[in-house]
Amino acid sequence: MASVLEGDATRVGVAQGEVLVEFGEAMLRGDAQRRGRARETLRAALGDGALVDAAAVVASFNAVVKVADASGIPLEDFKADATADLRAELGLEKLNHLAS
Amino acid sequence: MPDTPKPPAGAIPIREGLARECARAWERLASPGTWWTGAQRLAIASEARHAQDCALCKRRQDALSPYAVNGEHDSLGTLAPAMVEIVHRIVTDAGRLTRKWLHSMLEGGVTEEEYIETVGVIAVITALDTFDLSLGLPQCALPPPRPGAPMRHRPSGAKRDIAWVSTIEPGAFGPADPDPYKVHGNKNIHRALSLVPQEVFNFFDLDVELYLKDHEIRDFTREYRALSHAQIELLAGRVSALNGCYY
Repeated sequence: MASVLEGDATRVGVAQGEVLVEFGEAMLRGDAQRRGRARETLRAALGDGALVDAAAVVASFNAVVKVADASGIPLEDFKADATADLRAELGLEKLNHLAS
Repeated sequence: MPDTPKPPAGAIPIREGLARECARAWERLASPGTWWTGAQRLAIASEARHAQDCALCKRRQDALSPYAVNGEHDSLGTLAPAMVEIVHRIVTDAGRLTRKWLHSMLEGGVTEEEYIETVGVIAVITALDTFDLSLGLPQCALPPPRPGAPMRHRPSGAKRDIAWVSTIEPGAFGPADPDPYKVHGNKNIHRALSLVPQEVFNFFDLDVELYLKDHEIRDFTREYRALSHAQIELLAGRVSALNGCYY
């Protein structure tokens, strides 16, 4: 989780993790050149199908955040209970706009 | 489907289910909804695209408190001011929306049903545009609006409890209302748009092809995509972190 928050995929042990993290960051924060490089790097490393899937995942999670944040839905109780320690350790409560 | 955006020739092949749902999502964007006409839905989608270049929104994004920054939005001029404020805030700074802000919008004349359908439209156009951007495709021109009137039907089981707007709790849909929980599951994220049940279908019919179906997410006995579960979740987690998404 810390790697996801910090954008450092070197410790997560996921195949081509750094390529995927850079892809996500480039699509959300990069300019056209950075996006192009990230796209080609991922395509070369993982293939066309994976590129489509990666684009689709970025699209999904870039959109679903609007649904969650605009409606004010809370985290389910079972998730909140199961992740209390993890959220505290990672400082995730600062993202909890329902607390304001 | 006439006039539905199509990928340019030579583009990377897209798996069939995803291509089908993208085409259906475009069609639904342009069609009459539950509360907005097709033309109104497309006006919301257009304004959502335009919000990315709004100077007021940029100043608010940079501010410690976005609610302390006043001014006028750079808008296309087709939506009422309250709707422009809603669309721009959701598009550019959703992570800092508050119950107080939303209720001020509702007091200003937008109904909660209209608001939820607007959220649904923004979510879908965000998904479609982000997908195309991520593949290096040009942004699709919006299709022409389809004729017809919105249904204007509020589900009978709606009540305001867990969220800032009314939702339908699982099991509370009446016989006259489509029940999206039976198809997509009943987590809070599905419940978020439930005041306008068709918007749950509109978003999640597309989202299960972008991401995974509810039962596939934790089925580690097989991989459903060219990316593995671990790869998908790493990417999803990073995107969520960049968006400051608590849920």
